[in-house]
Amino acid sequence: MEPLGEQERERLLHSQRLKAAVHYTVGCLCQEVAEDKGIQFSKQTVAAISEITFRQCENFAKDLEMFARHGKRTVINSEDVKLLARRSNSLLRYITQKSEELALNNLEQKERKKKKSSAAKGRTTSDEQVEAVMAESEDSNMA
Amino acid sequence: QEGAGGGGRCRETVNKILHLHFKDDKTRVSSDALLLMAEMLNVFVREAAARSTRQAQAEDLDKVDIEHVEKVLPQLLLDF
Repeated sequence: MEPLGEQERERLLHSQRLKAAVHYTVGCLCQEVAEDKGIQFSKQTVAAISEITFRQCENFAKDLEMFARHGKRTVINSEDVKLLARRSNSLLRYITQKSEELALNNLEQKERKKKKSSAAKGRTTSDEQVEAVMAESEDSNMA
Repeated sequence: QEGAGGGGRCRETVNKILHLHFKDDKTRVSSDALLLMAEMLNVFVREAAARSTRQAQAEDLDKVDIEHVEKVLPQLLLDF
């Protein structure tokens, strides 16, 4: 008698893999904090923080989905994340700052792409051609 | 290269974790929102670690144990 269906088992394995990924990263971050403060973390502590983080993600995910739906959207955006960070002032400030940095970064990338495409259109010398090709390969490396 | 963005965990992992708990199949996350969520989780873990450390140090110990996490957990969850 099968206690779990095939799909259920897949889902369980999937979430276990993700939990392991979280646990690894939490371990790395705790290691940094430990070195920084000259203190040790017990294994149970790392496991506990990792478990708490994973569970908190469930709350985050559901809230984000609700916020987006409230705004009649299916795509969760930065505003939804900022709303998620509302409970602590310093957290909200930090997230808002990061969000502004991202927006600035996106703007700069757009500017760069515009310049590149206009340079490619007005190409007269072979030098400009080489430049356009090099910029393009740079872009694909970044992606 | 992983799109880690300032110490956040890999974007793809964050995306998969969030998708585990979405009720609607059509829900998506913008790439900016993903980066911000990675940052937020980063802060969450660091806060948990730092607050537990402070608790252990306040008790004059040099090892952080699970009871220190338990003591700081309520306020941590209220702040997030």
